[in-house]
Amino acid sequence: MSPLELVGDSDRIVKELRASRPVASLVLRERVAALGPEPAPRWSFSWPSRRLVLGLAAAALVASFVAAGLTRGTSTQRRSGGVATVTKTSAPAHWENATNGRALDRTLKAAPVPTANATRLQRYQATLRLRVKDVDALSTATRRAMRLARSLGGYVGEVQYSTRAGKRGGARVVLRVPVGSVQAALTTLTGLGTILQQQTEILDVTRRADRESRQIAKLKRQLETASPQEAPAIRARLRTLQAKHAGLLRSASFARIVLTLATPQQQAAAPGRLHRTLDDAGGVLLRELQFVLYALVVAGPLLLIGGAGLATARAVRKRSDRRLLERA
Amino acid sequence: MNAVKTQFAEAAERHLDDVHAYLVYLTGDRATAEELTAETFARALERWHRFDPRRAGPRTWLCQLARSTALDHFRAEARRRRREGRYAATEPGEAAQVFGEGLSPELEAALARLSAAEREVVALRIVLELEGEAAARVLGISATACSTRLSRALQKLEKEVSAGVAA
Repeated sequence: MSPLELVGDSDRIVKELRASRPVASLVLRERVAALGPEPAPRWSFSWPSRRLVLGLAAAALVASFVAAGLTRGTSTQRRSGGVATVTKTSAPAHWENATNGRALDRTLKAAPVPTANATRLQRYQATLRLRVKDVDALSTATRRAMRLARSLGGYVGEVQYSTRAGKRGGARVVLRVPVGSVQAALTTLTGLGTILQQQTEILDVTRRADRESRQIAKLKRQLETASPQEAPAIRARLRTLQAKHAGLLRSASFARIVLTLATPQQQAAAPGRLHRTLDDAGGVLLRELQFVLYALVVAGPLLLIGGAGLATARAVRKRSDRRLLERA
Repeated sequence: MNAVKTQFAEAAERHLDDVHAYLVYLTGDRATAEELTAETFARALERWHRFDPRRAGPRTWLCQLARSTALDHFRAEARRRRREGRYAATEPGEAAQVFGEGLSPELEAALARLSAAEREVVALRIVLELEGEAAARVLGISATACSTRLSRALQKLEKEVSAGVAA
C-alpha cells in the first residue's frame, strides 16, 4: 500500500482492522473440509479470451482488405472507345515454356478477331506472337509468312531474323496486307505455331480523311481564283496535303500485321513424381488458403459484431455489478 | 484425483480465513458470509481443474470466485426484494461484532456505513494485504483505479470514525 493511500488517522485504523480480522468458525472449517471428492470433469465450453477474439476480428478485417485488393487486382480490365478498339488475348508468361500448348492454341483460335468495317476507313493493326518448335520451324514459318503477304497482294515491311547456337532463335516480321484479306492472313498465320499472344487494334480515320478531302477541295477552288503571286504557295500546300491524304488512304487500305516468332527458351524436362507431388500439394494448399481467406471475409464482419457485442455485454455486466455493490 | 484433492484441501486450509474475511466485509453479515464461503469452496472444488497458477495465485483466484458468488447472491437478493416488495434493513445491529472480534464500536459502525464496494477494497488491500495488482484483478479494474478506490474508502472510513467518536 502506498503512503498516499494512508491519510490522516488511517494508519491507526489499518492496524486495528488487521488486528481484528474475522476468523472462520469451526463449523465453517468442518463444512469446507467435508466437501465431497471432485466430480468427474464434465465437458465444458469456455469463451475464448478477449485478446483472442479481438485478434481474430483484426485478422479477419485485414484478410477482408487483402482479399478485396486481390480480387480487384485480378479482375479483367477492358476498355473500348468509340474510335479505337483493342482486343488482346495473351497467355500467362509461365505458359511459354510449356511443351504442350494445344489447349491454349485452341482457346486463342476460338477467340473472335475484330474485322475491319468495309464502309469505313480504318487503320488495322494486328500483333501475333507465336512459338515454333525449333530453328528449322522458325525458318519455315518466316518464309511462309513472307510468301503469304505477297500472295494476298501485300508486301513485307520488315524482317528481323536471328538464331543462337543453332538451337534457339526468333524472328519479327512486319507484313502489310490488304484490309480485305486480313482475316485470311491471320487464319493462315496462326497455323504457323502455337499462339502466345494475339492483339488487334482498329483506328477509325474516316472523319480525318473526310476533313482532308474537304481541305484539298477548298485549296483547289482557291487555286482557280488565285493571283499569280498567291498560286505557288497554295499549290505547295495542296501538294503537301495531297501527299498526307494519300498516305492516310494507303495506311487504311493495308493492315499492318506484326508477327513475332520464337523457339522455346529451353526444353522443359518432364516433371518427376516428386515435382508433381509438390505441385499437387502446392495447389491444394493454395485452394485451402483461398478457402480460409473467403471464410474470413465472410466471417470477419460477424466476428467484429460478435466481439463488439461481447465487449458491450461485459461492460454492462461490470456496471451492473458496481451499482449492486454500491447499493449493498 | 487424490493429488488434486490434496492440493485443493491445502489451498482451502490456507486461504479459508482470507476468503471468509473478504466475504464478511463484502456482505456485512456473518451468517451470509459463512454460507457464501462454503458455496465458494464448493464451486472452487468443482472448478479446480481450471485453476491456472500462472495467471494468478490461489488466494486471488479464490477471492475472484468469492466475489462472483457474492454478486450472484446480491442479484438474487435484489430480485427477491423486488418480488416481495419490501426492503430489508441494511444497518446491522449495534451489538453485533460483524467485521471482527475486538474492533472498536466506532470503527464497526463506520464500516457498516460504507458501501460493499468500499468495504471490499478495504478487505482486499488492508485486511488480506493483497498486492495492488492482485486486488485489481479480483475487482476487475486497473491497479490505479483500485488505488484511488482504496484511498477514497479510507478517507470516508476515517470521517465516519471521527463522526462516531464525536457523537
